Amino acid sequence: MMRAMLLHPWRFGHDHRMTRALASNFLDGELDQDRSARVAAHAHVCPPCARFLASLRQTITGLRDLRETSEAPSVRDGVIDRLRSEGQAPDGD
Amino acid sequence: MTPCEDDDLVARAKQGDREAFEALVRLHADRLHAVVRRLVDDPGEAEEATQEAFLRAWRSIGRFKGDSQFFTWLYRIGVNEAHRITSRRAGRGPVVRLDDEVVQPSDPGPGPATRVEHADLRAALEAAIGALEPEYRIPLVLRDIEGLSTAEAAQVMDIGEAALKSRLHRARLAVRDAVRDYLPDEADR
Repeated sequence: MMRAMLLHPWRFGHDHRMTRALASNFLDGELDQDRSARVAAHAHVCPPCARFLASLRQTITGLRDLRETSEAPSVRDGVIDRLRSEGQAPDGD
Repeated sequence: MTPCEDDDLVARAKQGDREAFEALVRLHADRLHAVVRRLVDDPGEAEEATQEAFLRAWRSIGRFKGDSQFFTWLYRIGVNEAHRITSRRAGRGPVVRLDDEVVQPSDPGPGPATRVEHADLRAALEAAIGALEPEYRIPLVLRDIEGLSTAEAAQVMDIGEAALKSRLHRARLAVRDAVRDYLPDEADR
């Protein structure tokens, strides 16, 4: 019954578009409960949307991993040297 | 980041305490530099932009009202400085581009094949980020790589949260399209 409702052409098309548009908010947990449940239910009956969400999730995970592997040398000493040589006193309020 | 520690240091820096401001530099310089490096082509210019951002922050810290966290205020200055430098370069070549260098993951994982896959994905991600226009790249860097919240990233960019989310989604879709051949569930389709 529930599956038939989700697969109704009007409902399916609407949920499909909503899933594509709100995928980031869904994955970030920034959708309200109703819309989040609706996206999840649609992905359950729509393999392309399930793959779409999975690939977007993997992309976001990959982006987050970039932070952990950054190995640029520290710039702290250079900043402090500039401050000591050029940094005038702060402007007043 | 430690907002409470920041608050005390900021209060002292506003009184002209340079050592307090230098402590803020030690807390935030490398993370700000990580953001700026993804917005500015040249590593030397990225360091210069980071230094300039802190100089500007020091000179104007008396005008910091505490409406936002110190680091979001600082990041905004850094992003603006990066934008100023890339704009200055606009007539001389590529506006923004990421380093070609691919840093190996610090934890290489279970085996050589996995290492290659990670390195390939990393390189593809870096290239895809580098191809984004700044208005889409900045939200992606702040939110997904640096881990700022939606509200914090929106404050840094001085835009609303809805606009931030919209740009972030478009940026993620562009990156996902560019790297999908490297994603585990996509490669074998």
